[in-house]
Amino acid sequence: MSVDDTILDADVGIVGAGPGGMAAANVLAQAGLSVVVLDEGMRAGGQIYRQLPEGLVNHGKIAEPPSHDGGHALLERFAAAKVTLVSHATVWDAAPGKLWFEHGERSRLLRCRHIVLAPGGYDRCVPFPGWTLPGVVTAGALQVMVRGFGVVPGRRALVAGSGPLLLPTVTALLGAGVEVVAALEASSRWRALRAAPAVLGNALKRREAMWYARQLWKAGVKLRWGWTVFACEGDGRVQRAIIGKVDADGRPRRGTELKLDVDVVGAGFGLVPSVELALRLGCTSRFDAARGGHCVVVDEQQRTSVPGVFAAGEICGIGGAEVAAAEGQLVAEAVIALAKGSTVSAEAQRRAQKERKAADTMLRAFAPLPGLAELARPDTIVCRCEDVTRLGAQQAAQLHGDSLRAIKVGCRAGMGPCQARICGPSLQAMATGDGRRAMDLPVVQVPVKPVRTETMLDAPT
Amino acid sequence: MTETADIVVIGGGIVGCAVTWHLAQLLGPSARIVVCDRGPIAGATSASCMGHLMVTPDNAQEYAFTKKSLALWAELHEKVGGFDYNPTGALYLADTDEDLALIPVLRQQFADHGDRADVLDRHQLAQLEPGLADDIPGALFYPGDGVVLPMLAAGAMLRAARLCNASVAVRPMCAVTGVVRDGSRVVAVDTERGRISTNRVVNSCGVWAPDLAELFGAELCGAARLPIHPRAGNLAITGHHVSPIRTQLLEISYLRFAHGAAKIDPTGNGGDPGGHAVNMQPQTNGGCLIGSTRQFRGFDKTLNRELLHRSLLRARRYAPGIAAAPIVRTWVGLRPYSTDGHPLIGPWPTIDGLWIAAGHEGLGISLAPITGRLLAQQIVGETLDVDVTPYLPGRFVA
Repeated sequence: MSVDDTILDADVGIVGAGPGGMAAANVLAQAGLSVVVLDEGMRAGGQIYRQLPEGLVNHGKIAEPPSHDGGHALLERFAAAKVTLVSHATVWDAAPGKLWFEHGERSRLLRCRHIVLAPGGYDRCVPFPGWTLPGVVTAGALQVMVRGFGVVPGRRALVAGSGPLLLPTVTALLGAGVEVVAALEASSRWRALRAAPAVLGNALKRREAMWYARQLWKAGVKLRWGWTVFACEGDGRVQRAIIGKVDADGRPRRGTELKLDVDVVGAGFGLVPSVELALRLGCTSRFDAARGGHCVVVDEQQRTSVPGVFAAGEICGIGGAEVAAAEGQLVAEAVIALAKGSTVSAEAQRRAQKERKAADTMLRAFAPLPGLAELARPDTIVCRCEDVTRLGAQQAAQLHGDSLRAIKVGCRAGMGPCQARICGPSLQAMATGDGRRAMDLPVVQVPVKPVRTETMLDAPT
Repeated sequence: MTETADIVVIGGGIVGCAVTWHLAQLLGPSARIVVCDRGPIAGATSASCMGHLMVTPDNAQEYAFTKKSLALWAELHEKVGGFDYNPTGALYLADTDEDLALIPVLRQQFADHGDRADVLDRHQLAQLEPGLADDIPGALFYPGDGVVLPMLAAGAMLRAARLCNASVAVRPMCAVTGVVRDGSRVVAVDTERGRISTNRVVNSCGVWAPDLAELFGAELCGAARLPIHPRAGNLAITGHHVSPIRTQLLEISYLRFAHGAAKIDPTGNGGDPGGHAVNMQPQTNGGCLIGSTRQFRGFDKTLNRELLHRSLLRARRYAPGIAAAPIVRTWVGLRPYSTDGHPLIGPWPTIDGLWIAAGHEGLGISLAPITGRLLAQQIVGETLDVDVTPYLPGRFVA
């Protein structure tokens, strides 16, 4: 079998080369199983351990937090492991034992006895006036620019949002030589204190917190709690940001506004699990607001409800890189147990449980704030694919019904290329006035991600 | 306190919304009209179908119906708007000798009604639609057809209704759970949100119309079950700004299998292999909607990959540029097929106060406005715009 064959065969097919997928691949390969990893990125690492394109050297000085030592170790082991990585691969359909993917302009198929889903998550977007201006991007997109391509996105940046991922966004910008004018965490300091047990009880997270505190202090960046971005303004691109205080539910407190001159804004309101492939495979899911939305349900060995399909990391609920790596190790042991009749180590189970528990504690403190939905004005675009405003979505809800599905048919929101990945959570929050209420489960149809018509036509069977 | 209504429209798809629009127009501002749907408004067939506004010339009745309906569509677009409406016409394409023979036939059918469709040579075809393959053996262009986005159009119809009567009540997510009768007379319907006293009810539930009819008491219906069956279609849509075409395309072979009574067991138990004739509809956002397949297989909404595949191949044959266009979604919609191939528009003869507007199969979008108008005219007792005799539901009562 050559890596370029139209049809690939392997014992295990892994979707995603982030910490979960890499950890799983490393262990599986060591056990002698053949492994193919399909990943959308240019190189292994996923979002968190994103690497520059091969041959590019980053001349900036992006300081790395202590947790990235683990990432480097994973990457090194992965590079040395007997694993086939197919980068630039978009998996667009799946059935037990089969993963169809587009690679370049070719339609290809991976046949495998076991599937491990570790596709990660994507940015949760909160619409506010001006969020569609050039220069206003998600925290994840800033990471791609700075860490993935060595691009310096601007000179004066505002970082706003909620959750632990704000900090690496700030340090990435600082490393690229960007002045971070303000860093705003929408959660209040008191609410954030609920994360304290997770940090204090975990040596790595303690060091991590100290490290970030020091980085921000050195650069003179003060983290403001209970603040967020209200609006962005500018002529053709962002030139100013209006920031202000929010109440405990995230509702903007009008009258507290300040103006900042900035030319780049990174907005990161947490992540949403990427569950489409799992739903397509028929895996059971459940809604968990604190974990980011619909999550795939797994048992104590990361097995989904579909035989032969396993899941690890953010897809089971947002939890971060350490959870993903621990669950990746565990999922690999579970697959090996199935393939070879061995047993899963208590150590792997214990570690995954411990990391997940700490992450849950942390994330409860940064669970999505429903009041942030009020940042959008009636004329603010909420669905960027179909240019639907908040008012348009509300009118659709009034006439067509109070559900995500009804809003979609009433104004087309969520029917574009992103298939509601970007607007779904905020549409739901606006329709129901509560982002914590369970969202309609998305109906996943092929292709799970957009692919060329020809890719569907030429799909190997 | 029980709510009262002059009329309750059950089923808020495109047909129910059209009925509501015309009832509001004819009954005036004081009438109490309620429209209920168990799901979102326009959330079932109307959200999963194509948007072809089609003039069908094969017989005088359908020609008059479709032509009149398309005029009402134009009026809705002009007076209310707020939905995608694209009068692109329709290009009927022929690929085989069998197809080619249909071109003069179709042209003559239009001519028989004093209407006009033009046979295009290769040069004219390339000018009209540069996105087409350059070896298409034959083409007929009919300028009177169009494309709409049905789910938004349904909302426009409800807004049109409210312009005539601001009190029209729209109740999505409100299923009807029962019917109260006094002998053969309807006196009330029970919904998830309580009872509504009324002596007039419209069943516009599309493929689910037989289920609702059963609530009225099948023993009075004369038929075991309303003869409407789901006929599935598999569809695909591309992303924005990638459509290789700007005119609606229709394989002329469509005429051979799409309309009229099917020769297959419509209950879905007969192992219908299904058929296809590609229809490509450019969208306002620059996307392209691709259908259409037909298959009886009950209410199963899983994608038939094989049928969709065959229609995508046909799409690529006619518009090669589709090959590189990204597909963002595929899905299945259910057409309400009636066993004689014609819709049911009128009173159910054995139950006082029960009216039906359903069973349009693939012409539901085209015919919704005229259906709404003719049903409303029958209910109010006005002179009908078009003779509706062939479509009276009583034909199914023994």
